[in-house]
Amino acid sequence: MRERFGAYLTAAIWAALAILGLVGVDWLLVQVAMYFCYGILALGLSLIWGQAGILSFGQAIFFGAGAYAYALVTLGMLPSLGSSILVGILLAAVVAGLLAAAMAWVTFAGRGLSGAHFAIVTLCTATVVEIAITRTEFLGGYNGLFGVPPLSWGDEMLGDRTLYYLMFAITLAAFLATVAIIRSPYATVLEAIRDNEVRVRHLGYATRGLKSAAFIFAGVLSGLAGALFAAQFGFVSPSLAGFALSTQVLIWVAVGGRSVPMAALMGALVVSGTENLLSNTLGNLWLLVLGILFVIVVVVARHGLFAPALRLPTPGRLKGMG
Amino acid sequence: MELILDTMNYFSVLMLVVLGLVVIFGLMNVINMAHGEFMLIGAYTVVAMTGAGASFWLALIVAPITAALAGLAVEYFVVQRIYHRFLDTILATWGVSLIIKQAVILIFGPTAQTVPNPLSGSMEVLGVAYPRMRLLIMAVSVALTLGLYLALFRSNIGLKLRAVIANRNMASALGLNTRRMDMACFSLGAGLAGFAGAMMSPVMSVDPHMGVGFLIPSFLAILVGGVNSLAGPLFGVAAISGSSNLIAGWLSQADTQVIVFVLCMVLIRFFPEGVLNKRKR
Repeated sequence: MRERFGAYLTAAIWAALAILGLVGVDWLLVQVAMYFCYGILALGLSLIWGQAGILSFGQAIFFGAGAYAYALVTLGMLPSLGSSILVGILLAAVVAGLLAAAMAWVTFAGRGLSGAHFAIVTLCTATVVEIAITRTEFLGGYNGLFGVPPLSWGDEMLGDRTLYYLMFAITLAAFLATVAIIRSPYATVLEAIRDNEVRVRHLGYATRGLKSAAFIFAGVLSGLAGALFAAQFGFVSPSLAGFALSTQVLIWVAVGGRSVPMAALMGALVVSGTENLLSNTLGNLWLLVLGILFVIVVVVARHGLFAPALRLPTPGRLKGMG
Repeated sequence: MELILDTMNYFSVLMLVVLGLVVIFGLMNVINMAHGEFMLIGAYTVVAMTGAGASFWLALIVAPITAALAGLAVEYFVVQRIYHRFLDTILATWGVSLIIKQAVILIFGPTAQTVPNPLSGSMEVLGVAYPRMRLLIMAVSVALTLGLYLALFRSNIGLKLRAVIANRNMASALGLNTRRMDMACFSLGAGLAGFAGAMMSPVMSVDPHMGVGFLIPSFLAILVGGVNSLAGPLFGVAAISGSSNLIAGWLSQADTQVIVFVLCMVLIRFFPEGVLNKRKR
């Protein structure tokens, strides 16, 4: 029972989210549907950070790339690709994946950058990408792109409840995919890389490729999240790709729990939900409170607040191995 | 000519900031993301004191002390508890930077502040008229950097410090108090950053985001130069400040940052350990 508690609780939360779609009022559903995008972003980060130990300060680059790709296609600014929503979402995933591959190619080469160097490089990249977008006329510069078409079926815009369930389904799919990866033998190798990359390489694994694959998967998830966010928000701006959002998602994942996908997802939902509730009353104080909470969690509860309760049972193949 | 002076100016101030970062990293293996915010503390100390009527020169002395005390507090309450968890120190110090920045916004407001220039007018140097304040900044920064290098390589304390950097366990076994050294160094680094912030406050607008503006170039300098020696960062800072100012001669500030960054990425791709370091096999 104790061992399976996390699995039951995870299932219970998904059931509660499904019921929320039936009983929730419209404005709440719209909000939560938006938070699901953040949740998908957090899932990607929890995979690379929690499993492979890749601390990325730049996940928003891929989120922003996805958002801009979706906006460019659906606004008809890339005439050769048409302007369908499906193509927009596909391009978002592809562009984000390619960017992640490029990033992995630069940073994981040779001995690879150490964890700290990698964090700094991603941080600088996020800052510079934001500046670069601000300076690019084609992408709307500082003002961003307006009037991004929402998700629709045929010619009909999706209703709030339908949209909620669509986002629910996509997030659940992303969650299940992440869990499947994390419970596979592949993720066990990733964990080994996190603990000692040199040793894993000496055991004959091509660590560079394995790390890159995880990083690209996280990038694609982020791009997808960005496209869905742009569709709901109707507006993309340089800050979607910048340093601020990158670090926000780090806070969500750290506060929730980096090594358990459900905890990271809950971190994104709970923290951004609380922010929405409290930022009006607390104003600038909110960020101060969040900063203090974040530092305390990092120092005292390194596994996050939700991870202990949501940890899934160990996969059968690893049982009895200490 | 003015271009060279501008480059020198940027170089000398960036060097002060980077030096603190490098010593903290070398000694404690901690990447201090809050370093830019110690600069902020220095600059805002000057804003508060000159606003209250005190002289700039007095504020210039108080500012590094305030920043050093803040550094000591951060070391004591946060860093010492987690310095063996490498990645977590990055997160925690980044959280600290968030806290300091928000506190500054709450106290002083989000808008930029100005500090009256205590040393107005310009002076003829190398054939161009250059603001006297900037010349002073340059002279003091270069003198401080030189002093630190001398202290590190010619004094007893410097010798002990280098011993701890080289082999922490051995140094501790030989009776050096590494704990006290960590605290001293962290606050020294913070104090240096605070001093840089205070010195720069009259010549740039003081706003809550100025810390990040210096943190990114400092990190790039460290990445290019490597952190395993002290000549590395010197080279890195020279490369960053030189190329920034050269390109800024005919392009805008924002474009310059992008280009310098791309150059850095190319360097990092082929010299992951820093340009001056031989690759370890």
